[in-house]
Amino acid sequence: MSYITGVIERIRNLTKSIKEYEIFLEDCVKPEPGQFVMLWIPRIGEIPLSFADAEDNIIRFIVARVGRVTGYMHERLMAGDKVFIRGPLGRGFRWAPSGRALLVAGGYGLAPLHFLAKKLRAAGCGVKALLGFKSDDDVFYREEFERLGEVEISVEHGSSGYRGTVLDLFRNVIQGEIYDMVYVCGKEELNLAVMRECLIAGLPVEASFERRIRCGAGICGSCSIEPLGLRVCKDGPIFDGRMIMPMLGAERIEG
Amino acid sequence: MSPDLEVELARLRLRNPAILASGILGSSYGLMRRVEEAGAGAITTKTITREPREGYLNPVFVDLEFGYLNAMGLPNPGITAFKMELRRAAENIRIPVIVSIGGRDESEFIEVAEQALDAGCNAIELNLSCPHVGGYGLEIGSDIRLACNIIRSIKSISSRPVFAKISVYQARPDIVSRYIGSGADGVTAINTIRAAAISVESMTPILSNIFGGLSGPCIRPIAVAAVYEIRRELPDVPIIGVGGVDGWRAALELILAGANAVGVGSAIARKDLEIFREIIEGLRGFLASRGFKSIKELVGYAQRL
Repeated sequence: MSYITGVIERIRNLTKSIKEYEIFLEDCVKPEPGQFVMLWIPRIGEIPLSFADAEDNIIRFIVARVGRVTGYMHERLMAGDKVFIRGPLGRGFRWAPSGRALLVAGGYGLAPLHFLAKKLRAAGCGVKALLGFKSDDDVFYREEFERLGEVEISVEHGSSGYRGTVLDLFRNVIQGEIYDMVYVCGKEELNLAVMRECLIAGLPVEASFERRIRCGAGICGSCSIEPLGLRVCKDGPIFDGRMIMPMLGAERIEG
Repeated sequence: MSPDLEVELARLRLRNPAILASGILGSSYGLMRRVEEAGAGAITTKTITREPREGYLNPVFVDLEFGYLNAMGLPNPGITAFKMELRRAAENIRIPVIVSIGGRDESEFIEVAEQALDAGCNAIELNLSCPHVGGYGLEIGSDIRLACNIIRSIKSISSRPVFAKISVYQARPDIVSRYIGSGADGVTAINTIRAAAISVESMTPILSNIFGGLSGPCIRPIAVAAVYEIRRELPDVPIIGVGGVDGWRAALELILAGANAVGVGSAIARKDLEIFREIIEGLRGFLASRGFKSIKELVGYAQRL
């Protein structure tokens, strides 16, 4: 599978360290929510990015400035520049178009959940999104999620919405409300904590995991979640809670 | 009775001839266990060096229509950290684990081999052929005397089998017999072949390292020729045939040429771990349909003119 050429149509500043890239692709891709691409910038590098949105030839990525390649993207890429992608790669969410879904996002982990929410909404599912941020200045994509369903925001320092972590907000929400499915994407501690609570409560749950991805083809083994031997690029990046159970202190989970 | 796929390879007993090739998936216990569960006959680890190696920057892998190109840069946790994975593997994995060893000089090979043997590996494969990492692999293997010295030193500390993984350039009976004369128990032929790919759209090389190793179906005829020639001149040398094994037919082709076992590598990109079952079932079906009792009967069969 060779690279598909993309042209950057628009770049939007979402926060001081997060940007949204809207890219026009020369060939159409049909990703499932949760899948990702390897985005290659010649002479700079290649990084995994999950789809925040995809419709016909237009795709959107949310890019936080975390390293060399994302730093280059933030500083140097402009509308009209070319990038190259290979994908869609990996296994996406196994979402079923029924019932009511709860989405839990930590920071820019909301990207794949946005694409998922869009698909769920189009399929007639009820969607509620819990979006967690550090401070008021870090909040983004609230309106985008509000178009797709209910939204609650948590900030650890500030005044927007719930005051605390998104994990605490999640715990409050599932005490009083009923959901058929939970989807989570954030730091690994958040993923594991939400998965653990869901499994204890008997709720189906899927999470999107992050690792350093190299070949993207499931052969190099760099992105393995150990000791399970699950490759984020091929077996994931979306994993069902039951697959991750051995990492969750399974002895405490019933059923 | 269903045909027997068990093979013997330099005193190693394999339940079937499909071995995970070096460089693929084998640097953690969890993945090694999955490869065992997938049905492999043995596992070769990624190449392990003395110190940890980060490897090259992305892109490190290119999926070409006729094969694959990679330049990972021998990323590995280093022997000290890898020993823990290896110990767990030695305790829990029943199929043979062959540790691939890399080094810049004789002393690095020896040091890594000592640790790997100590952690309980079943055999050693010497990486004398990686085509894209300066100071390692092919740069060592191109010096036949140095390679022979390394083989001799490793054999002096190892009672377990030692395989030399050779490049196509060294896959000649005269060179292989020098390796065997130096004590090698067998050879793994062949490694990937130095290659590069350039994107016409960006007008730049794709791999960050520019040069990588070519694998996949496009190198299979080269591997078949190498194995055939070695087997023709050296009837008793254990050979692991590697190159373009993407199903049971390709595996059988290398066996018919003279391989006792075959390495499965980049084909996992397209067929995933299910490829091991496909090879096993395909070989068994072929043997049954042609009335053979054991896969051993077919090693080098194509040479019976």
